[in-house]
Amino acid sequence: MPDKTISYEELTPGYKFPPATYELSASFVSKYLKAVDSAGAEFVPPLAITACAIAAMTKSVPLPPGTIAIHASQDLEFFKPVPIGATIECHIGVAQKIARGKMSMLILELEVFDKGKEKVQSGRATIALPA
Amino acid sequence: MLTEIQQGKALNPVVKHITQEKINLYAEASGDFNPIHVDESFAAKTPLGGTIAHGMLSLAYVSEMMTSAFGQSWLSEGKLRAKFKEPARPGDTLTINGKVDCIERKDDVSYANCNFECRNQKGEMIVTGEAIIKLSGDRK
Repeated sequence: MPDKTISYEELTPGYKFPPATYELSASFVSKYLKAVDSAGAEFVPPLAITACAIAAMTKSVPLPPGTIAIHASQDLEFFKPVPIGATIECHIGVAQKIARGKMSMLILELEVFDKGKEKVQSGRATIALPA
Repeated sequence: MLTEIQQGKALNPVVKHITQEKINLYAEASGDFNPIHVDESFAAKTPLGGTIAHGMLSLAYVSEMMTSAFGQSWLSEGKLRAKFKEPARPGDTLTINGKVDCIERKDDVSYANCNFECRNQKGEMIVTGEAIIKLSGDRK
């Protein structure tokens, strides 16, 4: 879990968030499946892994009170199924920060690896924030 | 799973009802407690006028549909591009539909190109996008 926070202003293209490690325990998967109202799974649902990666980022960036951050788009690619109980490491970096009028678009790149350093998932998220 | 993957084939739709309780559960599971999702009094004072579901919650339903249609192929060689068009809100019923747009063959490997959309009970588009799934090498 990230133990350091960064201000939004410090987020510039090339910035890398500290990697965050998660254990995808049976209890975590069960909680996630209940939240998404879905039946049991043999593997960790890939979007549960993405949720961990995004949470690692949002916990690192304390937005000013009252700020609304909107998830505008999400690209994802999955490379291998992840068994329940696996440990993953999430890497997120800032790819672009674009000012559009009163809004700012933050484009983040994420990569998730398993314990054997094999990539299990990669993606790109666009978050819209007040500039 | 789909027994026959062919161009134009509709994927089995997924229908989900959004409640504040489910949004709160998702916040707990994902660790995303942004007040726009979980703080009703805060959210009521924003331009959105109330809490909204996490975009990733709606996208999880899309992934459920893809997993149901393609099984492990989706988990090991799936790709998606999604745009969040409108927020889903407590009380909404979301219907996720998808279709195989075409099957492409490259270097002896087949790929199913699908499109998907998630709409609320008013027909408003919540999420739209495309997905590509690598199929086994011997499928036509």
